[in-house]
Amino acid sequence: MPLGSTGRGAMLVFCLWMVGLAWAEEAPPRPPTVGIPRRLEGLVLPGTELEAIPSADRKAPVMVQVLRVYPHGSLFRYDIEYTGLEPGTHDLRKFLRRKDRSPLGDLPAVQVEILPVLPPGQVKPNELTIEKGPSLGGYWMLVTALGAGWVAVLVALIVSFFPGKKQGKRGEVVHPPSLAEKLRPLVEGAVRGDLSGSQLAGLERGLLAWWRKRLDLEKCDPSEALERLRRHPEAGPLLTQLESWLHKPGPAGVVDVQSLLEPYRNLPAGEMDTTGGAA
Amino acid sequence: MSESNSALLKSPESVVKFLDGVRDRIGTVVVGQDVVVERILIALLTSGHLLLEGVPGLAKTLLVSCLAKSISLQFARVQFTIDLLPSDILGSEILDQRTNEFRVNKGPIFTNLLLADEINRAAPKVQSALLEAMQERRVTLGRESFRLPSPFLVIATQNPVEQAGTFELPEAQLDRFMLRHRLQYPTPTEELEVLKRNMALGIRRDGPGAVARTEFDVMEDRPVGTIQDLVEAMEAAAAVHVSDTFLEHVVDAITRTRNHPDIELGASPRAGIALIKAAKARALIRGRAYVVPDDLYALAPDVILHRIRLNYEALADGKRAEDVLVEILHDLTRGKQAGKAREAVALAAESRA
Ligand SMILES: Nc1ncnc2c1ncn2[C@@H]1O[C@H](COP(=O)(O)OP(=O)(O)O)[C@@H](O)[C@H]1O
Ligand SMILES: [Mg+2]
Repeated sequence: MPLGSTGRGAMLVFCLWMVGLAWAEEAPPRPPTVGIPRRLEGLVLPGTELEAIPSADRKAPVMVQVLRVYPHGSLFRYDIEYTGLEPGTHDLRKFLRRKDRSPLGDLPAVQVEILPVLPPGQVKPNELTIEKGPSLGGYWMLVTALGAGWVAVLVALIVSFFPGKKQGKRGEVVHPPSLAEKLRPLVEGAVRGDLSGSQLAGLERGLLAWWRKRLDLEKCDPSEALERLRRHPEAGPLLTQLESWLHKPGPAGVVDVQSLLEPYRNLPAGEMDTTGGAA
Repeated sequence: MSESNSALLKSPESVVKFLDGVRDRIGTVVVGQDVVVERILIALLTSGHLLLEGVPGLAKTLLVSCLAKSISLQFARVQFTIDLLPSDILGSEILDQRTNEFRVNKGPIFTNLLLADEINRAAPKVQSALLEAMQERRVTLGRESFRLPSPFLVIATQNPVEQAGTFELPEAQLDRFMLRHRLQYPTPTEELEVLKRNMALGIRRDGPGAVARTEFDVMEDRPVGTIQDLVEAMEAAAAVHVSDTFLEHVVDAITRTRNHPDIELGASPRAGIALIKAAKARALIRGRAYVVPDDLYALAPDVILHRIRLNYEALADGKRAEDVLVEILHDLTRGKQAGKAREAVALAAESRA
């Protein structure tokens, strides 16, 4: 019976549709899941016209669009589409503002629910941390700064090295006593006869140094210079006299110190250069 | 003073004759090198060890061999090599097979004059064994300690340190040498004389063959003096008068090596002692009964240069120790601190007056 079976099938579909319709009318619609857009149509809200706040927040839990606005007496009627990005209950007022920027006032809450798609207890991946990118020209600025610092230290070193020498030279020109100046108090002391042993030694060395300089023997080997001094008509007798005065054993006073040193009492300081008797 | 004069007057002729005799004898074999001969005599008179430094072929060995033959001294020569052992110089204890007892075998160091030839070729261990014995004048072999004969003198030779295959002696060991003398090349006239003398030597027949004769072959064996002559000369040298002024010169020079800005390591007190001893001997050799600044200026390089070390700044500036020493010797004041102290004293005295 092909006719009978067809009629029965049609009856079954019709019943199911009726049941479904009745169920659908009785139960409220299932809230959308994450990422699925849903429309609220013909929503009447009090106050002046509303609009969606343009979203600047990457982490906003809901995206809201005002699709259409109809005047509704003194009020407005809205078609609003929202897409949930985070499961939970959200208040859409947070994403709306007045077109005239007046406060929302006594706008009633527009609660929507978003269902999760993931099973509960799902392990979430670590939060992404967004790092600040390098500031513009950072590397080159660093290199330039380091280079400048290095040059500055170098210049400081060079500057600290040279002025010392320069000062020394400047000082020498004015200050350190010349050989003649060093000799004068020793000669005077010897003439008075009140030199200590080491001052006598200094006097002898000073006189030798003075003659070495005078005869330009400073480049010579010291013992060779002494040989040449010994042969010099003026320096030779001085050396011999100094030796018998200071070194020869036996009674002192054989040497007339006063007349021996007379020529050296007023040595011109300027005649010799300044580095007498070494540093 | 009177003592020194009397000691010198006791036998002045014999001492001078002896020293001249030794010098002349060396002069018959070695041409020139007067300064070196004088240094060797100074070493002999003071028993202060001598280090001769110079490139090979400057007659260092010849000189010392000649000295040994001119005085009737016990003489030994050790050629230092890399494989030499301390016992090769000092000696050792050996087991006598027949008596089954240890017997001491004294090494070549038991002599009056030891020529340590090319000392810087031996390992440091050997060098320090010799230098220790030189300092203490005694050697311990086994359980017994033996005194070295007297007089005892070491003359060491070494090649300049730039040469390869040598071990440089450190300053602490160089300090044991009273004098270090650097030999110079002979002058052209001396060189000519060396060549002429060498050509005259000819050939020596030796059995069926023949060899070229060397200066070593023609050295006369008959000595010009005995140990007694040497001891008298040593006494005369010790009695030479040293003035207070000379002592001041020496102290000033030594102190200044320690305060000098270019010098890292200054001279030790041994340097001062050596300077005085050597100056006395030099005065005697030159026929003086007292020392004079000449002696200081002539000997200071040989006494002081091997005991000081320039610092890196001075070396980097290209300074030489010789020049720094000349500068030190002619300075009037005693070091920096001493100079300042003296100035302060003088100022105080002036303000009181
Ligand atoms: N001043 C000199 N007088 C005589 N001979 C010399 C002189 N200088 C060099 N000679 C010759 O050179 C040789 C140098 O030999 P040697 O004494 O062994 O030198 P060194 O020990 O310094 O290496 C001598 O044997 C000699 O023939
Ligand atoms: Mg040799």
